[in-house]
Amino acid sequence: MNYKLMLRMLGRTLQVEALCLLVPLVVSLYYREDPLPFLYTILPVAILGTLLSRLKARAEFFSREGFTVVGLIWLAFCLFGALPFWFSGEFASFGDCFFESASGFTTTGGTALADIESLPRGILFWRAFSSWIGGMGVLIFTMAFLPKVGGRSQTLFRAEVPGPVSTKLVPQTAHASQILYLMYFVLTGAELVALRIAGMPWFDAITTTFSCVCTAGFSVMNQSLGAYNLPACEIIAIVFMILGSLNFAVFFLVITGRARQALRSDELKFFLGILGVVSLLVFWNILPLYDTAGHALRDAVFQVTSLISTSGFSTVDYNLWPTFSQTLLLLLMFVGGCSGSTAGSIKCGRILLLLRSSTRSILRLSHPRAVKVVKLDGKPVNEETLGSVFSFFVCYFLLLGLGSVVVSLDGHSLISSFTAALGCLSNVGPGLDLVGPFGNFSSFSEFNKIFLGVLMLVGRLEIFPILLLFHPSTWRRT
Amino acid sequence: MNIVIVGAGKVGSTLASFLSQEDHDITIIDNDEEVIQEANDTLDVMCIKGPGAAPSVLREAGAEDADLVLATTNMDEVNMLCALTAKRLGAKYTIARIRDVAYTDDLASLQKDLNIDAVINPEYSTALEISRLLRLPAAANVDTFFRGKVEMIGVRVRENDPIVGHPLSDLFGRTSTLSILFSAAERDGEVIIPDGTFVPRAGDKLYVTGTPKDLSVYLRGLGRDLPKIQSAFLIGGSRIAHYLTKMLLAMGVRVTLVENDENHCRMLSEWLPGALILHGDGTDQELLLSEHFTNNDAFIALTGRDEDNLISALYAQQQGIRKVVAKCNRMNYADVVQAAGLECVVAPKLITVGRILRLVRGLQAKEGSVMSALYRLSDTDAEAAEFILQENTPHLGVPLKDLSIRKGFLIVAVLHEGHVIIPSGTTVLSAGDRVIVISHQQGIQSFRDIF
Repeated sequence: MNYKLMLRMLGRTLQVEALCLLVPLVVSLYYREDPLPFLYTILPVAILGTLLSRLKARAEFFSREGFTVVGLIWLAFCLFGALPFWFSGEFASFGDCFFESASGFTTTGGTALADIESLPRGILFWRAFSSWIGGMGVLIFTMAFLPKVGGRSQTLFRAEVPGPVSTKLVPQTAHASQILYLMYFVLTGAELVALRIAGMPWFDAITTTFSCVCTAGFSVMNQSLGAYNLPACEIIAIVFMILGSLNFAVFFLVITGRARQALRSDELKFFLGILGVVSLLVFWNILPLYDTAGHALRDAVFQVTSLISTSGFSTVDYNLWPTFSQTLLLLLMFVGGCSGSTAGSIKCGRILLLLRSSTRSILRLSHPRAVKVVKLDGKPVNEETLGSVFSFFVCYFLLLGLGSVVVSLDGHSLISSFTAALGCLSNVGPGLDLVGPFGNFSSFSEFNKIFLGVLMLVGRLEIFPILLLFHPSTWRRT
Repeated sequence: MNIVIVGAGKVGSTLASFLSQEDHDITIIDNDEEVIQEANDTLDVMCIKGPGAAPSVLREAGAEDADLVLATTNMDEVNMLCALTAKRLGAKYTIARIRDVAYTDDLASLQKDLNIDAVINPEYSTALEISRLLRLPAAANVDTFFRGKVEMIGVRVRENDPIVGHPLSDLFGRTSTLSILFSAAERDGEVIIPDGTFVPRAGDKLYVTGTPKDLSVYLRGLGRDLPKIQSAFLIGGSRIAHYLTKMLLAMGVRVTLVENDENHCRMLSEWLPGALILHGDGTDQELLLSEHFTNNDAFIALTGRDEDNLISALYAQQQGIRKVVAKCNRMNYADVVQAAGLECVVAPKLITVGRILRLVRGLQAKEGSVMSALYRLSDTDAEAAEFILQENTPHLGVPLKDLSIRKGFLIVAVLHEGHVIIPSGTTVLSAGDRVIVISHQQGIQSFRDIF
């Protein structure tokens, strides 16, 4: 392992984090709040980053280094990102701070605090901003705006961009990162303007935008988006949550005039199909609870979009909805958005591959010699990729099981424990019951908050980069 | 004509032998010493050894003032380059064999860009022929004229068919509502161009010309209107199978395809998602039975070995599959199995040679006569020639019954101002008409030859 190079890359990204921290510093100065929590963080992070990035290292860099360094960098980002929360004195323990920070960077959007509204604005801004950075990926950010790290940057790209197969937009990875961030900027700008026009105050519009395009679902209100009672804002949020959970390659194709090719994507159709069908089912189910059909439809679509995009915003407490709707919403948490988006969970692409591959297994029962290539978007998917999708699936459920067992040590109800683990692993945030839409994770133990924070990281990086850190072969010399 | 043939493989050498018999000056280019030696010994042609796409070699072969350059090496790319180079050097007409599936979708633009006059794809033509056979399951062969407006089908006459024992002149009365024409008959391997006195016998193969609609009515009258083929079982994943599967899927036929090579299976599955692709030996009866292959309406054997194809086809026929087609390039084998009752045998080599000969004849015709196309009737030595009648063509405006057409020639279809006329005694020809003439002997050059 080329430790020096890995440390140097870590240094680079820490420098980026220090730069990012300047933004909330400015915000807290603007609102005349105490800037010290940020200053105390920026200084050590910047110094450590600069020292590490000065290391002289050979340029050898392979897949193992790539995946390991991605895991380490994210862990470091979350740890250092927790410092402002810690220094602010608003959080009871460091576990809370780590949970909050991980929840931000991994775009989970669950909170360890019972009362969000009392936090200083700088801290609230940092929560939203960290989720915005984490949405597209910290390494992609680094690659987009800093000089090249090495030839094998596609490994880093693959480790950070979710999905079973990563599509290359353009030949150069750095160029692709820039394009991704450019589209991300445009989406962010558009939503900000839309929310402001719809009547949300500036600060709320900015923080909501930041945690909406990245499908995190942080809100500065305890009652989430429901607090504003602005139907227009809810509809805007629906649109941008959907956009955030589409493959960014789709936008690229549309911009470059290949919309037809983009619309042929199986995954896109599958995602929109699930979204539509489940929305209608939930709408039909909750209709008796509402006075007007319009309101019921809006709430149904909002919650379905929020959960399938793994955002976790809410306008209504779906803990009070019928079991049928709750079951559907729970299942949506497993689905997630499209590959190459900012959404988390298993992803439509993987589910589609699993379905197709299972159909093939059934076909093989009646025709043992049948050969059928599994395709995605008209392109054949090789058996190796299918195998990795299956192992992803298995690991996902093993971790979910493990997570539920560990979380249940706290003695909360079965549904609370299970959905807490699921919400964190799939980067949705809220679950049902105690951790429901208007609930929070404050009643969990210190140990479990840190554990859930790690679970979020595992989910965000799609399991393997973090698991790799725990595999002995990673650290062996040979 | 001066003809240069590049690549003396199966098709190249067969063509050379046909064309040299018709008094053309043939030059063969091939890179293989042995092939060149073989051609030199057996054919009346000139041979040059060298890479066929190289300008110097083509120049040496006289491509600069050749009337026709034919590129039939086994590499598509070499053929394209060869046709392109020959054209640059000054060849009048170029034909290239391009058969890779990857090129088929862009063939038209490719042909235009490379300035190739005609592209032949033997596998595609064969697949097309098989798909026609499946469309009319009762027919043993199907030929089409006027872009499909007129078809000629060959049907084996059976013992209890109503037409047995009646001279054709009697039949005209009974089939007067249909415009169909008995165009040729094959009896004991001999082709006869029938007249009114011809009496069909069981075992004859009768060729009937007409519009597709009338022909299906005729078949229904014979009690031979078999239900449409709905499922087909193919063995061998060759290019023909690939093209054919595509055509069949488009016709709404369910296709099961067995191929021996696993990687090839994966490729087929990738290209043909609608078909069921099986990996295994298509001649293995165990596999065929476990897949319930007898439930299929059609069985088509397309493996690389003629013997496997014929044996599997006979087996399928014995198991009671309605329509069985086998690919077989060796005609002497085909004769043997046809005696054993296997009706449909296709020979890609002959289909290709036939197509090229047709093009060559057409070219010759352009040089002064008025023949516009020439068809070689499947499995027989009879030909069908298409002519465009001009102002100076003799006997225009005279009813056919008043003309003395030589024995062995028959006008079977006329295209008059876009309408198909199946001629009778009162039909009158006029300038601008296209006519199809069936002839028994080869070598019809001009419309005048039939009088």
